[in-house]
Order: sequence, then C-alpha cells, then structure tokens
Amino acid sequence: MNPPCPTIAKYLLLLVSVILLSPLLSTPEAQAIPAFARKYDVNCTVCHTRAPRLNRTGERFLENGYQLPGTEDGGTTKKFRLGDLTLDDVTNYLGFRLRGNALRTVDYARHAPGTNIDGNPEDRTEFGFPEVFSLFTAGTVTNNVGFFAEIESNLEEDETGVERAFLTFNNIGQHDWAHLRVGKFDPSAYSSYATLRQQFELVGDNSVDNGSFMLPTMNRIGLTPAAFASKFHGLFDRSGTAILPTDPSLFHAVAEMGLDIHGRPFGEWFLYQVGILNGANEPFGDSNNPKDWYVMTRFDVAQSDYFSANFSGFAYFGSNNVKVSTMADVNWSRYGFATNVRYYMVDIYAAFVVDHIANLPNSFNNTFDETATGLTVEANVLATDRLLLGIRFDHLDAGGLRTQRTSNSLLALIAKFYMRSNIALFLRDDINLRPAQGGRTPERNFRNAFFVGADVAF
Amino acid sequence: MAYLACSLPIWALATSPPNQDESVSRGKALYEKACLLCHGKTGKGNGPDAFYLGAYSAPCPRDFTEAEFKFRSTSSGELPSDEDIFTTITKGIPGFMPAFQGLSEADRWDIVRYVKSFSTLYQEAERTPIILPPGPLPATTKSVSRGREVYALLDCAKCHRPQTLQPGGLYDMGELRDRRDLKILPPDLSSPSSFKNGHRPQDIAQSILTGLDGTPMASFRETLSAQPEDLWHLVNYLLSLSRSP
Repeated sequence: MNPPCPTIAKYLLLLVSVILLSPLLSTPEAQAIPAFARKYDVNCTVCHTRAPRLNRTGERFLENGYQLPGTEDGGTTKKFRLGDLTLDDVTNYLGFRLRGNALRTVDYARHAPGTNIDGNPEDRTEFGFPEVFSLFTAGTVTNNVGFFAEIESNLEEDETGVERAFLTFNNIGQHDWAHLRVGKFDPSAYSSYATLRQQFELVGDNSVDNGSFMLPTMNRIGLTPAAFASKFHGLFDRSGTAILPTDPSLFHAVAEMGLDIHGRPFGEWFLYQVGILNGANEPFGDSNNPKDWYVMTRFDVAQSDYFSANFSGFAYFGSNNVKVSTMADVNWSRYGFATNVRYYMVDIYAAFVVDHIANLPNSFNNTFDETATGLTVEANVLATDRLLLGIRFDHLDAGGLRTQRTSNSLLALIAKFYMRSNIALFLRDDINLRPAQGGRTPERNFRNAFFVGADVAF
Repeated sequence: MAYLACSLPIWALATSPPNQDESVSRGKALYEKACLLCHGKTGKGNGPDAFYLGAYSAPCPRDFTEAEFKFRSTSSGELPSDEDIFTTITKGIPGFMPAFQGLSEADRWDIVRYVKSFSTLYQEAERTPIILPPGPLPATTKSVSRGREVYALLDCAKCHRPQTLQPGGLYDMGELRDRRDLKILPPDLSSPSSFKNGHRPQDIAQSILTGLDGTPMASFRETLSAQPEDLWHLVNYLLSLSRSP
C-alpha cells in the first residue's frame, strides 16, 4: 500500500520557498565580477555560456592552462616580480563555490520494494543547502605552468577532501602542440560533452553499504548522465566498495590520478588527447599494473555566424581496473562518441557510450551482461539574459549481474535564473519515464525528484 | 597634442610598423586563436561566443566590417587610429574583453593590421586624433562645483544615474539602446574602474569629447569648445562621485 503521495506540508514548503525567492528574481543589473574573472577584469560570460558551462573561449582558456587563447600570458598578466618569483595577488587565483538543493522532494512508487535489495526508500522533502562547498585555487605560476586545486566538502557523500589537484605544463614544443596535465583531474574536460560544469548538477545515489564485496542497499539511483555512468551492477573497486551503476567513471570520472597530454598541432579544428591513469576508482597506493589509458580526438567543424559544432570520439582501455564479487580482476573499458552544437541561444549536447567488461571468470557465464550502453541528450536555451531553460534525456541500458540489472530512462527539466552572472537560482525536476513495475527495483521505484537550489561562485 | 601624447600610456606611444602582407598574415593566425571566438571569422562580431556575450543587452562584440568603434581618439563618425585599436587590444575593456598584454607588441600590431583588413574604409578615410585642452586641472572644491554645473547643463543625468543622484534616467525607462537596438546600461559614475574606455582623467575627457559611436553617448566636443576648461571641471566632478577614496 503506497502512502499518500505529496503531502500538504511538502507543497507548503515549496510555496514558502518560491515566495521567499521571488523578490530576488527582480534584482536588476548584473555587474558582479566573480572568481576567475577578477584577474582579467571581465565578466563570467567571457568564458561561460552561463556558469558553470564553458563557452568556446572558456574551453580554450582551460586547454591553454589558464592563459588566454592564443597567448602565453601566465608570466605577465596582473603579476609582479619578487626576485626570481612571479607573484599574483591572492584574490586573482582564489575562489569558492557554494551549491546545492536548498529543498528537495523525492517520490517513490513503493516504499519497501519487494526485491532481494532490501531498500527502505520513503517519500521525502528535506532541506539540504549547501550540499557542496568548494574552495579552489587556480592560475599560473609563470608562463606555461598552471595549477588547479579544489577542496570540496560534500554533504551527501559526507566527505571533505581534495577533489581535484593538478599541474599543467603548456605549449610544449610550439604553441598549442602539447599541454601536459599531471595530478588528479577530470579526464573528459576537453571533450565535446564534459562530466563537470553541468547545468544539471550531478546528484548522487542514496544507498547503504553492506560491507566489502557485498551489493549495497540502494534506496535511490543517482541522477547523473547515463552516458557517463558506470552502467554495471556488481562491480567493486580494489577495496571492495561497490561501484554503483549511476556513478560517473572511467573517462567520465570526476577525478582520477594520472597524466595526460592534449593539443591542437594542426590548427583550431582538431584536438588530440592521450592519457594514462591509475584506473577506475584507484587512488594513490594502487597495485593495478598495467595502468588504464585513453585516447580522445575532437573535431571542431564550425565556428562562425553564432554557430559552432564539434564532435569527439574516445576509447578508454581498462586493465585489471575493477573487481567482481569473487574478487577477481576484470578489464573494464569504454568507447564513445559525443557532440555539441551551439546556434544562437540553443546549446545541444549528446553522448552515446558503450562499456564492456572483459576477462570475466567462467563462473559468471550466463549471469553477467558484459556490455552496457548509455545515451544522454541535453538541450539548453538561453531564453533571456538571465533565464536558462534546459532539458535532458538519459537512457541507461544497464549491464552486470542479470538478477540486478535494470534499465532506466529519465527526463530532467531545469529553469535557472541568473540574478548575476555568478549567482544562479534554479528549479529542477527529474522524472522516471519507465513504468514503475511495482517498484521492484530502485531504477523503477524512483518516480520523481524536485529540487529548488542555488549555485554561487565567487 | 603634445599634452595628450605625454599623458598616454607607453603602449599608446607605440607606432604602427610598416604595412606588410606578412604582418596581416600573422595577424590572421593570431586573430583566429585569440579573437575569432567573439568577433567571428569575418569580423562581423558574430563569433560562436558572441550570442552569449551580447544577445539581449549591450555590449556585443564589435563588428569590424562596419568600422564603427566606441573607443577612439578621433572625432565622432571617424574611424579609429591604428593606435586606438592597438590600445583596446592591449588594455581590454573592463568587464567584457580581457587585456591581451600577454601577446608581444609585434603580435598586437599584426592583429591591428588584420582587423583593419575587414573594412576597405581604412584605405581612404582620414583619421585625425583630437587634441585635448590643457589639463587636467586640480580637483579643487571650486572645480568640482563648476563640474556639477556643467553636468547639469549637459543634462548628463538624463542617461547616467550615479548612486549619489536620483533615479529616473532614460535607462530606468528602458529607452537607452545602442545601434543594434540592444538595451544598454550606462556606466555607474560612482565606479570609475568600470568605465570601459578607462578611468584616468584623460580617458574620461576623451570619451566626453569623442563620444562613443554606436551608443547613445554623443560627442560633446562642440558644446564644450567655447569653454574648454569646463571639460576638466566636469571630469573632476565625475571622479568626485567615486566611492573609492
């Protein structure tokens, strides 16, 4: 018996939130100069379509190791010399970001799904802001040597630590020939559809760990792009912690340790990237040998008349980078394609990704699907200077243990209002498009999630 | 002219190198890396990022084919001097265009030459920098007071609405628009560092005399020609509105 779905209290909370936020919507004039923009005395929109999404200039700035496109200005702009040191004002490289869902309400088809996963989901409306606080520092030490470090406190993951940290050595050989990145970074940063800087913030799963090499109790699936997700049921990292099917991973990991090289040696139309990593969910101390490696190419095929288009293809080769429940190592690899087309106010992204597991123990024959796919299509429209509307469709054809694997299709909608270019308020709704089927699995039990949140960077 | 020259920064004293096809070619390569994303392949201000910069309100990236520039040392309606373009590339535009000081001086001149190639008007047009009257004058109470009178005489408050003055200007009524019919926000006069053409007395004086072509900011050169020192009184008054000490 399902409990009475949305309660009066829930909608009262929503109403109060909207009323409280509504005066902010009329705030005039957007003249703030946020974190990274301080150094160059420019507004956020020089590098972002609308924060956090990068525009082409922002992408080139990132590729060039936090130097303006076409330049190697890291040793000069807004810096002063002290002996052989080149120093920058601290405000030119220090920033923070505060984001999260101030209010979230999640509905399920049934509150105790009758499966072998003893979940205990319940309809909830709760306050959660701030879910994520990031303190970051980034910039250049001198020309062609850059750095990035981000310390993040995440309420949902109950963790505080270094999220990403790396050094960049840029323009090796000749301008734009090769840029080296070393440290803990997001591999997909330069592809057509990157994991980070999403208008739809990644929302992690809700699950309970049941011990090493044991399947967790999953109350709610994560709300992440299906193409970037792990896709498999029944995979574990080296320590025995389950890798959940909606966690971003491999090429689309939020951060992995390793090094990579990218460049545009033949002009603006072509970018290459080659990298090597410890492996999926393999931090320092990894015994995985050999390592994982990947290659990505991106083609920027149009850049004129308010129009730009690019597409990327990548292959990620895993080697003993994940385990199954028998603790046997298997090879987890990924191949995919992504594209981004931007025309006037419309910004469209798509990615189709295939994951494959090789070297499975014989005992998993006929019980484990070795291939899984994910499709994500997203469109954003800048309706006015301050209002961005977005829609995203995800379809996950999951793999892994056949007793567990369940595909899902989700639709997400968002309306983001930018009070200033660095302060956004948003309403978001994620809807499960697949029939509930009695809520027998977490993928089908989840029905709807509604968020009211804010994203502030300074 | 002598005064203007000695008051300008060192980059404005740099002179354009001889015209060379190689320079234009180098400028094109640099432009395609550093400028194209906003100003577009054909220089029409319609690069891939342009829409998100100035889709619904000014400023949007400059259209070089029309050869209409806001920031000039030349009279209203004239093309900018080569040095004007060089200065904008070097200084940037606060809030909207980064300073490209990371490019060498030679590289910036190459870009100037390539930018000029978008319009044939440069081959025949006269471009004569205007001469600022002697100044600036000391910012005495008397000078600031006279500047306030000039501000009223020129009806500056019709568009500008410094925090220290009453609201109700044309911007508040949504009537200030640029040549592309985009809503334009006049600078906050109490925040000189946001002035797009610079906030030194000479920069402000130049903006008042030349006007900012393509925007509602007209040239006041003729109006102020009878009493040239009023220009500096007005500048002193505007700087007195600054919130910073």
